[in-house]
Amino acid sequence: MTGWRNGRLEGVRSIDGGDGSLTSVVGQSVLFAKLQDLLAWGRKNSLWPLNFGLSCCFVEMATSLTSVYDAARFGAEVVRGSPRQADVLVVSGTVFMKVAPVIRQLYEQMLEPRWVISMGSCSNSGGMFDAYSVVQGVDKFLPVDVYMPGCPPPPHAFMECLLLLQNMVGSERRPLSWWFGPQEVQKPIMPSMRDAKREERTRQREYPSIDVLPRTDILSPHFAGQPNGLSKDNS
Amino acid sequence: MNPRSSALREASIGEQTELVAEIASHFSSEEYLTAVQSTKDGIPTIWIEKHRLRETLRFVKSKIPRPFPMLFDLSATDERLRRHHEGLPISAFTVFYHLFSFDRNQSLRIKVPLSGEDLSLPSIVDLWPNADWYERETYDMFGIQFDGHPFLRRLLMPSWWNGHPLRKDHPSRGTEMGQFQLPPEKLVMTQEALQFKPEDWGLSRTHQDPDFDYMFINLGPAHTGTHGVLRLVAQLAGEEIVNIVPDIGFHHRSQEKIAERQTWHTFIPYTDRVDYLQGVLNEMPYCLAVERLADIEVPQRAQVIRVMMSEFYRLASHLVWYGTFAQDIGALSPVFYMFNDRERILAIAEAICGGRMHPNWLRIGGVARDLPIGWDQLVQQFVDWFPNRLDEYERLVMDNPIFKARTVGIGGLSLEDAIAWGATGPMLRACGLPWDLRKTRPYSGYDQFDFDVPVATNGDCYGRGVVHVLEMRQSLRIIRQCLDSMPSGHYKSLNPLATPPMKEHTMHDIETLIHHFVGVSWGPVLPPGEAEVPTESSKGQTSYYLTSDGSQVSYRTRIRTPSFAHIQMVPFIVRGELLSDLLAVLGSVDYVLSDVDR
Repeated sequence: MTGWRNGRLEGVRSIDGGDGSLTSVVGQSVLFAKLQDLLAWGRKNSLWPLNFGLSCCFVEMATSLTSVYDAARFGAEVVRGSPRQADVLVVSGTVFMKVAPVIRQLYEQMLEPRWVISMGSCSNSGGMFDAYSVVQGVDKFLPVDVYMPGCPPPPHAFMECLLLLQNMVGSERRPLSWWFGPQEVQKPIMPSMRDAKREERTRQREYPSIDVLPRTDILSPHFAGQPNGLSKDNS
Repeated sequence: MNPRSSALREASIGEQTELVAEIASHFSSEEYLTAVQSTKDGIPTIWIEKHRLRETLRFVKSKIPRPFPMLFDLSATDERLRRHHEGLPISAFTVFYHLFSFDRNQSLRIKVPLSGEDLSLPSIVDLWPNADWYERETYDMFGIQFDGHPFLRRLLMPSWWNGHPLRKDHPSRGTEMGQFQLPPEKLVMTQEALQFKPEDWGLSRTHQDPDFDYMFINLGPAHTGTHGVLRLVAQLAGEEIVNIVPDIGFHHRSQEKIAERQTWHTFIPYTDRVDYLQGVLNEMPYCLAVERLADIEVPQRAQVIRVMMSEFYRLASHLVWYGTFAQDIGALSPVFYMFNDRERILAIAEAICGGRMHPNWLRIGGVARDLPIGWDQLVQQFVDWFPNRLDEYERLVMDNPIFKARTVGIGGLSLEDAIAWGATGPMLRACGLPWDLRKTRPYSGYDQFDFDVPVATNGDCYGRGVVHVLEMRQSLRIIRQCLDSMPSGHYKSLNPLATPPMKEHTMHDIETLIHHFVGVSWGPVLPPGEAEVPTESSKGQTSYYLTSDGSQVSYRTRIRTPSFAHIQMVPFIVRGELLSDLLAVLGSVDYVLSDVDR
């Protein structure tokens, strides 16, 4: 059965031709869903971040919007300058005491529904900057939905957290009407990625040598080189 | 023994003594200089009383033959807990002035001791316009008053802050100060402190013409054109900028205070984050200064590896500048191409150093580890690939008629003004002076490389662009030379203070094992002294002025960054231009907020 469930499109098979019957045509072009699911699906795939950067992490966040990483694949490339138009506040960098009221105000200017990603160690906990001018974690004055470790987290990490947030947004339940149904926002419990990944991480016993170099062919055939690292000729 | 005469005898190189004698003889009084200090970096350092400060500075600025026209740095040291100040005057706080002479290719450091209740000095804003922010910063950080300063108030810390952070009795850690809270009343108070009232900044709301009012526009700290948390308030007459008031300190990470608690070795990762776009280029001046303090000779291979990675990071930083500058002007596509090439550089950096933006790659006495097998092919691929891209970027950006219309002749700066405001790096070279420390005061073996120092003539936005773009080709040239003639040998010095010592030796002789243990668990102990080695980073001259009092942490670390000086110049550059030109100027200046506020 085709439909949206928990913000996910389920049961769709991609058939190119079909047998031309009414059932087949309708099955390929019409979907039935609950309004709530449809809205959650729409929200999840158009998370617009606010164009607000604090420090190093913002450069990595900006990098994930450029073509190598391309956050547009997740519908999150529309970076808005105005908080009124943004859905996600990515606190990308060190939160300073002088800038804390500014962040708070930006958050308050954003319209509901809104979410917060805390990007990087500084924003998570102060990180290596346990210093007089630094707030030890943005969660001292803002609710945070996703914490992203790293100093700074590479663009892959940004996209992983974006997907985590998307899953959360997709399964969130918000009231559709003033009249009936629960009036509060039902947020799912965010999974602990440390626990989820623990088994896989502890299984790893062998690490590649530091002399096994990565391929640098990000885009171009010119850069392709040999597969699986360039070290084979020399070692 | 008279400390002055003993110190004079010790002052090593003839030229320094000459300069000191030149100053002393001009004032023809035996006791004019309180003391002459010999420092590890060989910069002539003289101590004078504060009532003689202004006449001395005026003399060295303009009257001395081959004068010192640039105020390179100005800050202070809290001397109250310092253990080693043999032969130096008694002082609670020492304010130091670092001047530079292009004719002599020489620095001069003038120190003024302050003690007792009266922590005040005459201001020198009328001598050097860039003393403005340096004095405000010193006031903010140490509570030292500068009499005659037109606008002495906090620069980096918010106005509601209690205490002066770089005093030794101010807490260093955020966790020492209780949990941060933002209750509504504090939110209101801090928001009110951020309110812009033109009168507070010495600006007038009304024009002589009664029908005309100035308009004030606030940009930042959350603004897409300011490249970070910089705040600028523009006073406008129509569309013309009458004045600009920069408000900084939104990115003050207290690096200088942190340096006083991290060991010499464990501060290296922090230097990466001073200017987060240029990685190794930050570590270079710090490690050079530490090595100068500890008398460590860096092996040739380590020097060339350092140079190669420095140039890679210079390219990475310039690429970000290139893309964002074009974007500020309205060209949206270049930034996407340039970030792709930056990814290639970061991939190489990751393969060699292990980190992308913050490589943490240099060590005291060398680099972290040897180059991985196959590094040369990675680098070769890049140097083959990149020149064509640069050609394409030039066609895309520099030859673009819209780009030219927005930048040629905009934000011009004369060479005299650039020097008076402390401009360095591409900012200075765009005014026509081929001053590159890699050429004029070579460090880390730059004198062995063949490269040119590109200059432009007008000092305008386009000129700054030209210098950046040509510099990228020179960096590529240096990388190619590193690739072709990478010397063999050690990647780290065998000096016992090199940290951590070469791991291969630790298990074979007890001496290295002990040094390894001490260096890792306690931190290397550097001999007392002072050293500073300015280097040419991507944005201008960066230097770390380190003071050791013979322990495993620095007593005082002063970080002089180019972006601080350059942002201070912005109001001077844009006065009289149109508001839309402000973003062109900001884009061309090439600054990073963490480099401004540290």
